[in-house]
Amino acid sequence: MIQTGISESTVSRVGHPPILRLDGIAKTFGSVAAVKSLSLCIGRHEVVGLIGENGAGKSTLLKMLTGVHVPDRGTMELNGRAVTFRGPLDATAQGVGIVHQEQSLFTNLSVAENIVMGAGTAGSRATRGGIYRWAGVRREAADVLARIGSDIDPDRLVGDLSFTERQMVEIARTIHLACQSAEAQGGAPLVILDEPTSVLEKAETEVLEHEIARLREIGSVIFVSHRLEEVLRICDRIVVMRHGDVVADRPTAEVTEADLYRLMIGKERHARARGDVPPVPDKVPVLQVKGLSRAGQFADVSLSVHPGRITAIVGTFGAGREALVRALFGVEAVDAGQIELAGVPVRNWTPRKAIRAGLAYLPAERGVESAVGGLSAARNLTVVPLGRGKGWWLSPARRSAMAADWFERLDIRPRLPGQDLERFSGGNQQKVMLAKWLALSPRVLILDHPLRGLDPGAGATVNACIRDACAQGAGVILLADTLEEALDLGHEVIVMRDGAVSARFDMAQDNPTTLDLLEKMV
Amino acid sequence: MTTLSGHGENARPGAAFTWRSGLAEVAILAALIVIFSILNPGSFPTATNLATILNNAAIPIVIGVGASAVVLTGRIDLSVEGVMGAAGMTFVLLSANSRGTADLGWLAYPAALAVGAALGALTGAIHATAKVPSFIVSLGMWYVGLGIAAVLFGYEMIPFLEDEAAVAWPTTAHLAVPNSFLLALVVVALGCAIERYTRLGRRAYAIGNNEAVARMTGIPVAATVIVLFAFAGTCSALAGVMGSLALGAGAANVGVGMLFLTLAAIVIGGTPLGGGRGGALRTVMGVLILSTLYNGLILAGVDPSIQSGVSGLVLVAAVVAAGWSQRAKLRVYK
Repeated sequence: MIQTGISESTVSRVGHPPILRLDGIAKTFGSVAAVKSLSLCIGRHEVVGLIGENGAGKSTLLKMLTGVHVPDRGTMELNGRAVTFRGPLDATAQGVGIVHQEQSLFTNLSVAENIVMGAGTAGSRATRGGIYRWAGVRREAADVLARIGSDIDPDRLVGDLSFTERQMVEIARTIHLACQSAEAQGGAPLVILDEPTSVLEKAETEVLEHEIARLREIGSVIFVSHRLEEVLRICDRIVVMRHGDVVADRPTAEVTEADLYRLMIGKERHARARGDVPPVPDKVPVLQVKGLSRAGQFADVSLSVHPGRITAIVGTFGAGREALVRALFGVEAVDAGQIELAGVPVRNWTPRKAIRAGLAYLPAERGVESAVGGLSAARNLTVVPLGRGKGWWLSPARRSAMAADWFERLDIRPRLPGQDLERFSGGNQQKVMLAKWLALSPRVLILDHPLRGLDPGAGATVNACIRDACAQGAGVILLADTLEEALDLGHEVIVMRDGAVSARFDMAQDNPTTLDLLEKMV
Repeated sequence: MTTLSGHGENARPGAAFTWRSGLAEVAILAALIVIFSILNPGSFPTATNLATILNNAAIPIVIGVGASAVVLTGRIDLSVEGVMGAAGMTFVLLSANSRGTADLGWLAYPAALAVGAALGALTGAIHATAKVPSFIVSLGMWYVGLGIAAVLFGYEMIPFLEDEAAVAWPTTAHLAVPNSFLLALVVVALGCAIERYTRLGRRAYAIGNNEAVARMTGIPVAATVIVLFAFAGTCSALAGVMGSLALGAGAANVGVGMLFLTLAAIVIGGTPLGGGRGGALRTVMGVLILSTLYNGLILAGVDPSIQSGVSGLVLVAAVVAAGWSQRAKLRVYK
């Protein structure tokens, strides 16, 4: 009955322990240390910015905080209690909520229902006993929305909301449960916002900023973003990660945007010394893109690919470069603009037509879109139709000969083309996928993160293959995994930001550093 | 029907005249009634014929309420006819009948429903725990049900029901509305209540909308699906009992033809097979459209042998119409 009094006295006796304390947590995947012995402390009512280049270990850290990955080592404390999460739901139930970039709401249900359903079986009074008391559901949702200062009508259908409004609903849903559980234990919730602003317009961002200010009063916030001016404006403290470590943890007042760039990049560098880059040939490009747009993905992108040249495209996650190359290969439709092949515009573009025209695309999601499970490496290597003039029939003998040839050329190990592809290591699987396309002698080779998940040795071989294909006259579009790779391989480097091209560097004349690229990316 | 679905998928104000809003089905039904009334002024718009249409609609409506609850989650229950046979035979053999097997009195009804619930729960459990498509599990369960019914039927003479009052009850009409249809309406009300006012029903919509998100939200997907299959089995069992009463005898094939009719009604009513939208009331509309169409074609003197062809075409046309606006976005359809 006088429960509030009791819990308050408990809190005051203990004082306010930090909401989150990480001590030496680490996570290794295979041979790659994604997070190396990281320690971090977040106090109550703090907004902490978390920044770092792609692959710095941010997302691994977030996944450990939200119960998706279990740390290999180290301890995690929430509100002064040591915790281990059994899964994402457990993390929320213990007071850590995350709002993802890709939204996870039921579009066919109302705002109120989404908020209440997220609270689970125990969390909602209005659905106790399995019966929905709609007035109660609405009231419960309205309370949570009021708490975060949102005036969205709880009766509206989520499918009808704008992106920002949905984000508000996600935040409301997350804190509904995280608050309840954290406050029940006398603590405060931790809300993680993962790249919440990357697709927002200016005005929408202001709404979100207001929201974060409200959240600060309730608990603490980790704000992950690649837009540095926003991080500087919104956060009290900024944590910079690089190569799985925290390289800086400073109050916002003590850092500038330039400092942050330098901290993210580490030592800036130019492209590695290499032979002269020839100037852009004065011929019709093999692939030309004019003003290509797709709503919400990329806008007004133009580029030219010439035979024997590598066009590297860099950008943060969400900059639209993945969608762009998928559109070039006909996997995704475009809203406006034109794709020209050797000067001829294409129509009703599909992957099948693209392959016939000599395009090849190595997707980033090897396991999902590229490798065919349950087939041998040799069959995977020859799964694409051979193309015109090479016949439609591939005899087993010819397949073996082809496979053996490519296994030799790309040094795919072990030399067992008949073995199931899944039994090869990641690097060798990727080489098989690359060989599949190289066997067709493509005119344009589109590579989407070709080195993802590969160890450095395998990466070097794949890069050598790319250079080789280029030397033999293929035009290459490369979505590089790192800025260094883009600088080292590219003849031209295109930087994308928020769906548009923000800079172009012709490596024959310009000599940009990694820092120059990063400044145009964020 | 739009007012009743105030909390469901039609909650947006000013619903447009589209397949999604539910108004299109109402318009089609109205158009059918007008057309057939003009074609057969003497036989179609009569109280007797109305009673016939409603009586014919009762059994598919009862099945459809359960089946559409399963379809809401993106699953499908093909075991309808088998469950009807097994439950129908159970009911007949446990009631006073010409074979004199047993007479449990009113207990025969819950016993038959329990058979359906058990078969449905089994389908759901195998589907959810072995993670095999509900399509194939329920296809198998269809024949399991038929097998049970065949064993119960045996090689003896046909078991006729002896309770004449019970046999006459479904077709007894009040103001042209037969009891069978009133019973179907009760089941529809129950289905609507489950869909709108229970966690079970709301979770069905959530699972159908996005199963991955449902799992991440902590919804017990497997348990929800199993319960819904059990509910569908119970509905099919009730339909089996109703069918047996209509025949006045036990028969393993009491449900023959009902699967196509019900699935077609679900789709024509506007519940997509992918789930997440629609529900029992829409299926009622689908059944009424099809029953009116069948009835009208017969009265118009159309050869009954081309009816099945017509209903097939109607189904295909309805699916194309429902998906027309989405077709450009579909890259993968299977």
